[in-house]
Amino acid sequence: MDNRLKALIAGSTAMAAVALAGGASADQMKIGITQNNVGVDSYQTTYEKAFIAAAKANPNVDVVVLDAGGDVARQIAQIQDLIQQKVQAIIIWPTNGKAVVPAVKKAHDAGIPVVITNSNIAKQGMPFISAFSGPNNIEQGKEAADMMCKALNDKGQIVQISGKPGYTTAIEREKGFEDQLSAKCPGVKILDTQPGDWNREKSQRVMEDFLVKYPKIDGVYAADDNMGVGALNAAKAAGRAKDIKFVGATNFAVGYEAMKKGEYYGSVYQSPVDDAENALKTAIEVIEGKKVPKMNYFKTPEITQANMDKFKKPVF
Amino acid sequence: MAQTRLESARMPGAEDPAGRRGEKGGGMAGKRLKAVTGVLARQGILVAFALFLIGFALGSDRFLSADNIFSVIRASAIIGVMALGVTVVVIGGNLDLSVGSMLSFSTVLVVDLHDKIGPGPAILVTVLATLCLGAVNGVLVGVARLNSLIVTLGMLSAIQGLTLIYSGGKNVDIANPDGTWFSLFGRGYIADIPTPIVIFGLAAIVLHVAMAYTPFGRRIYATGGNPTAAVFSGIRRSRVVFSTYLISAFTVAIAAVILGSRVMGSQNNVGQGYELQVLAGVILGGTSLLGGSGTIWKTVIGVLILGFIQNGLLLLGFQYYVQWLVTWVVIILAVWLDIAAKRGRLLSPIA
Repeated sequence: MDNRLKALIAGSTAMAAVALAGGASADQMKIGITQNNVGVDSYQTTYEKAFIAAAKANPNVDVVVLDAGGDVARQIAQIQDLIQQKVQAIIIWPTNGKAVVPAVKKAHDAGIPVVITNSNIAKQGMPFISAFSGPNNIEQGKEAADMMCKALNDKGQIVQISGKPGYTTAIEREKGFEDQLSAKCPGVKILDTQPGDWNREKSQRVMEDFLVKYPKIDGVYAADDNMGVGALNAAKAAGRAKDIKFVGATNFAVGYEAMKKGEYYGSVYQSPVDDAENALKTAIEVIEGKKVPKMNYFKTPEITQANMDKFKKPVF
Repeated sequence: MAQTRLESARMPGAEDPAGRRGEKGGGMAGKRLKAVTGVLARQGILVAFALFLIGFALGSDRFLSADNIFSVIRASAIIGVMALGVTVVVIGGNLDLSVGSMLSFSTVLVVDLHDKIGPGPAILVTVLATLCLGAVNGVLVGVARLNSLIVTLGMLSAIQGLTLIYSGGKNVDIANPDGTWFSLFGRGYIADIPTPIVIFGLAAIVLHVAMAYTPFGRRIYATGGNPTAAVFSGIRRSRVVFSTYLISAFTVAIAAVILGSRVMGSQNNVGQGYELQVLAGVILGGTSLLGGSGTIWKTVIGVLILGFIQNGLLLLGFQYYVQWLVTWVVIILAVWLDIAAKRGRLLSPIA
């Protein structure tokens, strides 16, 4: 038992050493990524596939793909592993924007550039990263507000179903939406805001309560299409869907379908493929010493019934 | 022969199997008064429920509208049906924390299979698959006699993993939600009553009768109350515990069908956290976590209290973080009222 264990350890260490040596000797860029929670939703699953595909397509790039499984402690350990492996850049999809900051600083101190992907880390971590690559959620909130103004001709009363309380994405979309709405069309009033927790069923329940509470609702803004379709379900059941304009964000396949049927006004198109490719490209450019904007956003255009034929149906 | 079968000892029509009876009245008037306070004491949770309803009705004129009441009960039916099954498990002396992720699994399964093999077979396969998961719980807790908290907590993440493996992390949706009879369960009506309410009501009646009036129910109470004594009375403990987990899995399958039909799609983590809401409803209904006592219909009240609180606070226009706080306060008040009514005073007589 003991001997076998020893042999196993020795064997695996030797293998790791060989692997490291192999990696180091080749004239290649070695990039490590630790993701948030692959498999928990289609977005993250598609992101990982696209990331691996993009890395394979580039012969100069070797990637170490890790997943924290939503666990902060595991992610910090993975960052330390990547530092030990002496990768040339680390891409992090933070499980928690605050908790990873010390680990990010460690990588920075070790001379390894860090690129944050998808959702940004806390402010105090910003000096230690080379770039953030991801969607601009404040901008997405603004785009949604623009669509809402247009859909309602600058006049009406709406309700908002926000994401999970405490999530940066939820906070930023809410802020962007509210600021732009009051700036661009003050005639549109937000009656109420309640969290839908990114959960379609929860959002459906919240909307049912809204429908009871407010006899007249002209529009619904949901912080993603999953919740938007939940709200649509509730309005259809109450026979009030035709009087309400639905605007979402992060266009999902269900939102795309509902748009096609004319039940859903618009959303913001955010592709996990663009997200992943932008992250890898940012990391490569950082290693090559090119000048990269610190906030390196990828495009998330408006998608409405009018222009949806220009977009492919989302895979998630 | 030496072993007395417990069911022969049961009192026919006993209302409260936990055995909280035995007020000894004095004169006629005293007897009547005692009877009234006795009823109040036994139904403290019902009094609390009535008080909340009145409070919310005073604050919002829409609260007691038929539309709102139907809508709240319909939305509570998913948690409610699961809570019925978990009540049975808890009365049997165990816990089931796996129901939340089991709900995710079953909903993903029924929605995904709907478009592949049709609604009927999809429901059948889902029920069978969910029963299998329940059987795993049942074998580990009932036969292998492992701690139910550990087993079902482990199952919670194991089933979540299973769901993700099955779906590959993708959301599943029913392509044509308007053209399937599957919509009956979550969106339809039976005799002008929303189907989820009908299902919830039927499930509650069946389980209440089974628990309160059948030898099978007695055996579950006996096993939860005192497993050793139950075994010595000739009850096959492992079989009883196994069956309670099958019941809870079955209720999860029903809830999944309602949920899938209501939403016409499913996320992989749709049931995340539901196990705690279910447990809150069960405990609010006065079922003892130690096993052996509790009633099905009070769980119904417990679940409805939770549903109406959330709805009422939203109608009154509270921010969500205030709602969380107030929900907690209301739960504490309800449980306190229940206990205070039972012992006849607010604070415990024993310091």
